[in-house]
Amino acid sequence: MDNDYFSIDAILAENQKIQCTFKVDIPDMGHLAGGSDREIKSLTKAPIPIWLAYIVLFSDWADFTIPSPFGIRVRNALKAEPRSVKLSNLVGAGGLWYGFGKMVMDILSEEQANGISEVLTKAFKGRLLEVIDQAQHFAALGPAGGGGPSTDTAQSFREGLDGTERELFALAQESAKRIKRWHEGNDKARR
Amino acid sequence: MALPQSLRTSVTPLELELIASEHLVEIVPLITMEKTAFISGAYGPLRPPAKCRIPLWMATNLKLKKKCHIVAPEWLSVDFLQERLTRETSRPEFSKLPFRFAEIAKVILDVASDDVQNADKIKSLLKDLREARQAKSRDGLQKLDHSELSLPNLCSMEINEIRPFFIQSMGILTQLFREPSAE
Repeated sequence: MDNDYFSIDAILAENQKIQCTFKVDIPDMGHLAGGSDREIKSLTKAPIPIWLAYIVLFSDWADFTIPSPFGIRVRNALKAEPRSVKLSNLVGAGGLWYGFGKMVMDILSEEQANGISEVLTKAFKGRLLEVIDQAQHFAALGPAGGGGPSTDTAQSFREGLDGTERELFALAQESAKRIKRWHEGNDKARR
Repeated sequence: MALPQSLRTSVTPLELELIASEHLVEIVPLITMEKTAFISGAYGPLRPPAKCRIPLWMATNLKLKKKCHIVAPEWLSVDFLQERLTRETSRPEFSKLPFRFAEIAKVILDVASDDVQNADKIKSLLKDLREARQAKSRDGLQKLDHSELSLPNLCSMEINEIRPFFIQSMGILTQLFREPSAE
């Protein structure tokens, strides 16, 4: 999430590609667009990973379109019900939707950035409670694991967690487990 | 960074229990002991059947050797807890309880349940209380925002439980939030 040099999460989030349209000819860089051409012509569209896109965009060599994980369809779906959107599908397995969003937000201009920020914040808040609830539910189940049929919605929500939420899930589950262990243990022998 | 992940985020319940063990409790000693100096202070003298205030760790130790009876603090009683539970379930805010009540109650109930009246009833009341308060801290999660969160009267064990993921989520929200620039 943060742009720390050593943050593995930041590196992974930077690996997402965004669609750029070049405004100028760039000689001898055709391999970046994945084609066999020697140069990148102006108006060529090419997906470029974010870590490379910074310099390309800030040097005004290209424009970019807001990537589809933050496009209007996803926004509408999130507005309707944040918990039913599978964030992990949008950015690939183990992907970091929030981290990606944060990076896109940093590139964008003021107004659009505020829009993305709002989408991200609302989505996060809307999903947080469910993440924690499920984590605590699973912590309460004990080592035997999920006995009993879990509902489909809960299951599909869990599958749709993005990397950031997964981390939170693990934290909450671990914490709840620890407290539970303590509450239930009667360690007279220890004393 | 040599600490395991679980210890990095917060202290463990056992550590909290250790801290709570410094709390003074009343005992009825069954042995005589002169005033004795410990690192945390001097306690005693113990003269049965006079009551005496000593730290919980010492009381636990003596109790396990059957050398004292622990007098439960006044909040560790059915009446008090029942009243708090009623208040807890009827009002939106957390009711006031001793900061380390969970730890102290557990230690006393573990080692000296025979000294507490209605120990089983108290245990179930404590459990109900805990669940009622957990539901409230869950509501607090809904109100979470990037800059502040106020949950007054939350107790040490509860703070410890929610600390890892509250901090993490607030950190994420801080990242996602964008100050609308004043233009």
